[in-house]
Amino acid sequence: MDNLKSKKLLIVDDEVEIREMIDRFLRKEGFTRIFHATSFQEALDVFQSVQPDVAILDVMLPDGDGFTLLSTLRKSSDLPVLFLTARGEDEDRLLGLGLGADDYIVKPFLPRELVLRLMAILRRVYAPPQKERYPVFQLGKREVDLESGTVRDHGNEWPLTAKEHALLLKLYENRNRIVTSDALCQAAWGDDYFGYENTLMVHIRRIREKIEENPSRPKFLLTVRGLGYKLMVRGDG
Amino acid sequence: MQVAIRILGRFIGATVLISVFLLIFNFVLLAVLIFNGMNEGGYPGAVVQQVAEGLQRRGEQFSLVDDAKATLVKNQAWALLIDEDGTVLWAYQAPDELPNHFSLVDVAKFTRWYLQDYPVFTHEHEDGLVVIGYPENRFAKYHFHFPPQWVGALPMRVLSLLVVNMGLALILSLLIGYRLVRSIRPLMEGIQALGEDREVLVEPKGILADLAKSINRVSQLLQQKNQRLKERDEARSNWIAGISHDIRTPLSMILGYSSAWEENRELPLELRKEAGIVRRQAEKLRGLVNDLNLVSMLEYEMQPLQRRPLRLAALLRQVATDFLNNGLPERFKLQIEKVDERAIVAGDERLLKRAITNLIQNSIDHNPAGCTISLQITVQEDAGVCRLMVTDNGKGIPRDMIKDLMELPYSRKRKRPRANGHGFGLPMVARIASAHQGQFRLKSDVGEGVQAEIVLPCSDKGSSFGANR
Repeated sequence: MDNLKSKKLLIVDDEVEIREMIDRFLRKEGFTRIFHATSFQEALDVFQSVQPDVAILDVMLPDGDGFTLLSTLRKSSDLPVLFLTARGEDEDRLLGLGLGADDYIVKPFLPRELVLRLMAILRRVYAPPQKERYPVFQLGKREVDLESGTVRDHGNEWPLTAKEHALLLKLYENRNRIVTSDALCQAAWGDDYFGYENTLMVHIRRIREKIEENPSRPKFLLTVRGLGYKLMVRGDG
Repeated sequence: MQVAIRILGRFIGATVLISVFLLIFNFVLLAVLIFNGMNEGGYPGAVVQQVAEGLQRRGEQFSLVDDAKATLVKNQAWALLIDEDGTVLWAYQAPDELPNHFSLVDVAKFTRWYLQDYPVFTHEHEDGLVVIGYPENRFAKYHFHFPPQWVGALPMRVLSLLVVNMGLALILSLLIGYRLVRSIRPLMEGIQALGEDREVLVEPKGILADLAKSINRVSQLLQQKNQRLKERDEARSNWIAGISHDIRTPLSMILGYSSAWEENRELPLELRKEAGIVRRQAEKLRGLVNDLNLVSMLEYEMQPLQRRPLRLAALLRQVATDFLNNGLPERFKLQIEKVDERAIVAGDERLLKRAITNLIQNSIDHNPAGCTISLQITVQEDAGVCRLMVTDNGKGIPRDMIKDLMELPYSRKRKRPRANGHGFGLPMVARIASAHQGQFRLKSDVGEGVQAEIVLPCSDKGSSFGANR
């Protein structure tokens, strides 16, 4: 994690206060190698001399725009880029992301959000790929092990089917929150999910048979009428 | 084109009607004229009859009653009585040059024509023939002879004459009307195009050239006006976008530092709480700036929609779920009532979600004491529309304030300024609906809750979706 914070970071923004504020927050978070540029030309110069690992770009610069800057940088480098701009229109957002930006944050922003998104980008690009691990969690007396795809209870073991696994994962990711039936169908059957509502109900019943002590009076996997389902997980929620 | 045909039809009808009327009028006029001409200066037949009846014999003497005499004098006429042999028995004011005796040939001739250029008329008398003569040139005498078949066929002939006349009138009017329509058709098309706000250029020619020029001028003026309006709208929208842009940078600092202080554990709790207040207000300001920008873009039609087929039901569930997941207070109940899964619209997901969110938020804001909010989606297949309804059982809105709620705050169209809150919510819904070629309706009164309805045109994909599984 710490080696991510030793990456070279370039901030391009014509507003000195914004640069200083971002600089301050990032240093507080542990980043040390932060470089500034105030214009299009300066950004190119700094890019040449420093070879940053990640860049935060403003769209409106006194001598050009960030979109062009990104296209120019992209000719020689694949460095990850995060747009930070006061232009919040959808078009700009799509244009920026279409040009290959890794994220797009509209001002005004919360510093925490910027740091989180920046870390996410760095992790995605520079952290060694680790094998994704599925969660294991406790529901009452039973343990749901999505890593091995089973539900266990004192020697009893119920295997989960692929669809049940996908549904439980989606529900666990949004634990203690309602997940719409649409989102669940999409998780299990993909984008063309329409018409699977009844099938979903069948799968939910089967999941309940495995995780609930009394499937007809569920305590963990609750139905929210008209909307979807909610997985109640106590503790680490 | 239909207008042209209608005009042509009317024109032909009017022309035929006019010609028939003229024909009849002329017939009547002719008849009256002839009748009057025959009677001008006293009908000679009547005069001669009066004289014949007023001429009485007393022994060898004849005398004329005074009435008849007076008539003769009035007509400057003279009279004779000729017996069966042609001898003049009696004369009254007869010219001297008349002979005393007429041969059979003379009688036959003057009966039909003239007696020494005097137009004369005859009538039977018990003693012979009464002849009255008028001054020369008083009357012209004509005689007509017709074969009986001809007279018998006369009604048919008159009728066919009428028919031919009408046919002629029809053809002529068709010809003239067609030419007229052909010359006004470009003008009509031009005016129609003006009505549809298209640019018009009519070639000015023929008798209506001036009119064509006027239409072109009107079109040009309209185009210029539209252009100016568009430019002004664009300027306004850009102005608001510019202001929101300029506000965003300083707001970034306020939001940034206040949230940093709020999270800074080295600072006293009191200070961190105050920083939290500043942060929340800054976030409010951020929402306001974003809303202002979005509403202005919608108002001036600068907002490009990212349209794709959307399932309204899924959208509604998503929004409702977000409300519930973000901690809707217990006193509010959010329930899905009826949801037609077939409702598919071609829409901008973000904007439609925003519209539904605003409606639910409006019900929440209006009823701080809590209420039940029901959500409903129906499809009206015959009209090809989907209806999305957000209904609450709260305290409602006075009926006369509903129109105000659709208008932007501080707009001139609003009767009263908004009391609290920025009030972009409902105007934004109205504008999002209209950007989707839909409608937004609000029904409410005090104590009746609020029934909000967004009506959107269904996407064509709707029916094929339903067949799946």
